[in-house]
Amino acid sequence: MIEAERNQVLLCAGAACISSGALKVKEALWREIQKHGLETEIRLIETGCVGPCNLGPLAIIYPEGVFYQRLTPEDAPAIVEEHLLKGRVVERLLYQASPEERKKFLREIAFFEKQVKIALRNSGFIDPLNIEDYIARDGYMALAKVLTEMTPDEVIEVVKRSGLRGRGGAGFPTGLKWEFTRRSKGSEKFVICNADEGDPGAFMDRSILEGDPHSVLEAMAIAGYAIGAKQGYIYVRAEYPLAVERLQHAIGQAREYGLLGKNIMGLGFDFDIEIRIGAGAFVCGEETALIASVEGKRGMPRPKPPFPAQSGLWEKPTVINNVETYANIPPIILKGAEWFSSIGTEKSKGTKVFALAGDVNNTGLVEVPMGISLGEIVYDLGGGIRGGKKLKAVQIGGPSGGCIPVEYLNVKIDYDSLKELGAIMGSGGLIVMDEDTCMVDLARFFLEFVQDESCGKCTPCRIGTKRMLEILNRIIAGEGKEGDIELLEDLARQIKASALCGLGQTAPNPVLSTLRYFREEYEAHIREKRCPAVVCRPLFQAPCQHACPLGIDIPAYVSLVKAGDYVGALRVIREDNPLPSVCGRVCHRPCESKCRRGQLDEPVAIDDIKRFVADYARRERITLPVVMEKKREESVAVVGSGPAGLTCAYYLARLGYSVTVFEALPVAGGMLAAGIPAYRLPREALEYDLNQIKAMGVRIECNKALGRDFTLEELQEKFDAVFLGIGAWKSLPLGIPGEHLEGVVPALDLLRHINLGGTIDVPRRAVVVGGGNAAMDAARTLLRMGALEVNVVYRRTRNEMPAIPEEIEDAEKEGIIFHFLMVPLEVVGENGKVRGLRLQRMRLGDFDRSGRRRPVPIEGGELFLECDMVVAAIGQKPDLEGFASGLQLDYQGNISVNPYTLASSLPKVFAGGDAIGREATVVHAMALGKKAAFSIHQYLREGKEEELETVIQPEKPRILEEPPTVKEIPRVRVSETPVRERVCSFSEVKLCLSEEDARHEAERCLRCDLEKILKKQENQVLVEEGAE
Amino acid sequence: MEETLYREVEEIVEKYKEEKTPLLCVLQGVQERFRYLPRNVLGYIAKKMNIPASTVYGVATFYSFFETAPVGEYVIRVCKSTPCHVQGAFSVLKALKRELGIKEGETTRDGKFTLEVTSCLGVCGVAPAMMINDVTYGNLNDERVREILALYRR
Repeated sequence: MIEAERNQVLLCAGAACISSGALKVKEALWREIQKHGLETEIRLIETGCVGPCNLGPLAIIYPEGVFYQRLTPEDAPAIVEEHLLKGRVVERLLYQASPEERKKFLREIAFFEKQVKIALRNSGFIDPLNIEDYIARDGYMALAKVLTEMTPDEVIEVVKRSGLRGRGGAGFPTGLKWEFTRRSKGSEKFVICNADEGDPGAFMDRSILEGDPHSVLEAMAIAGYAIGAKQGYIYVRAEYPLAVERLQHAIGQAREYGLLGKNIMGLGFDFDIEIRIGAGAFVCGEETALIASVEGKRGMPRPKPPFPAQSGLWEKPTVINNVETYANIPPIILKGAEWFSSIGTEKSKGTKVFALAGDVNNTGLVEVPMGISLGEIVYDLGGGIRGGKKLKAVQIGGPSGGCIPVEYLNVKIDYDSLKELGAIMGSGGLIVMDEDTCMVDLARFFLEFVQDESCGKCTPCRIGTKRMLEILNRIIAGEGKEGDIELLEDLARQIKASALCGLGQTAPNPVLSTLRYFREEYEAHIREKRCPAVVCRPLFQAPCQHACPLGIDIPAYVSLVKAGDYVGALRVIREDNPLPSVCGRVCHRPCESKCRRGQLDEPVAIDDIKRFVADYARRERITLPVVMEKKREESVAVVGSGPAGLTCAYYLARLGYSVTVFEALPVAGGMLAAGIPAYRLPREALEYDLNQIKAMGVRIECNKALGRDFTLEELQEKFDAVFLGIGAWKSLPLGIPGEHLEGVVPALDLLRHINLGGTIDVPRRAVVVGGGNAAMDAARTLLRMGALEVNVVYRRTRNEMPAIPEEIEDAEKEGIIFHFLMVPLEVVGENGKVRGLRLQRMRLGDFDRSGRRRPVPIEGGELFLECDMVVAAIGQKPDLEGFASGLQLDYQGNISVNPYTLASSLPKVFAGGDAIGREATVVHAMALGKKAAFSIHQYLREGKEEELETVIQPEKPRILEEPPTVKEIPRVRVSETPVRERVCSFSEVKLCLSEEDARHEAERCLRCDLEKILKKQENQVLVEEGAE
Repeated sequence: MEETLYREVEEIVEKYKEEKTPLLCVLQGVQERFRYLPRNVLGYIAKKMNIPASTVYGVATFYSFFETAPVGEYVIRVCKSTPCHVQGAFSVLKALKRELGIKEGETTRDGKFTLEVTSCLGVCGVAPAMMINDVTYGNLNDERVREILALYRR
């Protein structure tokens, strides 16, 4: 009797959802259903993996198909009472696509939109423990068709024509493999299913086995018929007990129903399947090792040929295929080869199941047609990077594969395109990695894995990978040497060429791949002992310090602030940063992005603490005594008094040189005085820092411009070395008609004019084109000058603006109007003056080499924005007019320098800061100035006989104490001038922390530096004790 | 006592006598029954199955799931593979070491827990993850680890 069920509740019971508590949810639901006496009307089913692991536990309620996610047992009463009894959807359990929008059905959710389910067709739709469910969805129909209508050769033909390639990783044509096995002589043959899915990050096969085990059984029977085998084995890894359980149950049911065993369906075909369980050896995923394991031996591969098709299990011809490969067989038989080959690309047909893991918002399983781009998988299906961080690379193919960096997000996923990029499709594990991943550490990680899992049989793998691992460990420990990279590449080549099996042959791939795309990262570890991602612990004392381009000893000064010793803190800061009042206000804070506190609650407000110290010193008129090494006779000219020039001058003065700074403008400071507006950096704060530098004996001569008042040759003659810190003051033109009209202004010219006290014809309505800091500064300045309306036009979306996020927020708060996805086409004028801007609407297209979606014009999407001023803020480069002869430039027009010495192409001349085109932030410019100072010092001391005074740097003062107890404390909030007040004047927007707030905030520091210092002290004590 | 032990082993060997090359099945069965593979038992199996003892020993020591030393009542396997690594498996391991007071490969003095590090468990969607005997736990952090251990300590 068919019970008329009113509703079916399908609860995902994949291993991941179970580990998230799905069974408890089920129990609670069942209890509620019983409470209301609904047992016969509601069918509660444990189904297979639906896909989005991070939304589990989840359920789908039929017949409507409503999708509930993130369920807890406490949600059971609502689901039963509201939805099942009263038919009212429980809104709060629906998927939240955005803060305002909730989606009811799977098909409306981006994660599912682009998916095409073939291998996963039943997963999430049936009860895997009920064979009737499988049969109801055309289960075993393919086997019936094969046994009644097709010959074995015809079956093989269909599989060949479909274009199905092995989904285990190698991508060998399945039909061909079956054909070879069929042709092999022998009466006894075997069918094996390789369910030893060991790739880290891969869980596709697991889900198929747990969610739709019959699909594999049916396919194996079909394979058996095609090649002439009567016995099949499924080799499942020991880590999948749930899969084993479901398979065993399915086999039992299939036998009961006459679909497995002797005389299947009464059609005279015998085929039975048994399970063999692995015992924790990744190498047994390799087919010959797997066979050895079933044969009761150590899982060691053997040379091929002979291939299993000729001599496999117990030396009989054997077909071995992957779980996903099998799962595709029944639909191919039922729907035909043409149907399957119509999906995918030319050489890679059908779909592929990918397991999304790592730093992506939506983790879980997706099945997509071959040929989809990697960017679509990461952003559309994966929902982008977690925590708003930046994507760095995607690892595909596990320990045999490689990484794809952001430049290639457009790559169409198929077997061949991935191979070209140095990766492999692999089993389908996709690990998404953000900016906090170190690629050297990643490579080391994969090699460790290979070393663990290497069977040990052949020398290249057993010993070769060990040697590679040793080199990587050395590099990470800070002991890398020149030549290590070349050695790694050499070893890799040899191992690839001579290892016995696939594990060894592909083991070097992650290293080669990371070297190919992230070589600079390896070089930084080796040459500079620096880990750009701030991961490799041996290379740094504290992550914040390592992330700081100036290397300020942050934990030291923070601990001193906590203790109330502000002068001590100032001393520590000035050791590495001569412009604390400036940085405390305008730095973009790379330190905070790596602050470990951020993993607990929020990063420590390091920069605000620094500002507090600087402002305290200024208020108390504290001048630290000047620290100078011996006085030296050489003199250095510094051109430009911006952050780079000032820092270079400061360190050169400390080293004892006479320094003269030549500044073209009437005031010193460069971008700090003439670029950044006073509401971000007041003059008094800048003055205080400048005076400290002048107190070191540095001469700053204003109104002296290179090219106009003196030449480079003169400097080369009069001084022993020259540093060019001339910045990048030339705004890039918009490149559109109408640019010459009156009212079109380059952003930097506008800012310089106003910041130096000039006046302008205040526009009624201004439009600033650009999305960086210069655009924000220009917009907010115009507002304060009295413009009635200020607009910002940017070609991409808000998320992609390069300006500091705080600046964008402040601009929005002040009432500046933002227009995204728009590009200017023409400045329209009247009587020679600007009347408005013609704009083109854009939409986001394919990914470009920066890993962002390229804006593409929308047909017919034009608009006109009325305005009387247009400000160009789309980029800048150095203004080298009048003196650049002989100075080599790069293709972008920046001064070309040796990356390690910062020496230019002219003798004695060095350069740094924005002028050489690097990162264009204040602190980076300062770091380059500092580097140049030491480089110049080395240059000047070369060949000079000097007793090398080993200057023993005294250990910086810091408070030694037990690391703080960890509990969540919110980060301090910085007060700001209210919006209405601040838009009429240039008074400072962000205010200084109070002493109390600063000290409280300092307490939040986790003192990551203590780990190493205390250990060092411990070791010293041990050594001393030992010596006694 | 020894007698019953060997008799049970014999039963397990008997169970698989129709299978071809069932050495792994036998070892798995014995380990399930006795929690690990005692050395003398390995020798006994070798004799019963007519396989050289060195071969049996070689197989028992090749696979990471075979324990040749006694283990605790609960074997905790923490995944250290890439997705879990990238999601903080290291701190999970540290937390476990702290809570249990043992290092990897060791067993707590009361014989309750053995701590091991393992390769990918296949639940990367809920990384970081671990298995305690046959049960998988995901979305781990310090707090969850404490909660889960409490369940087993009761």
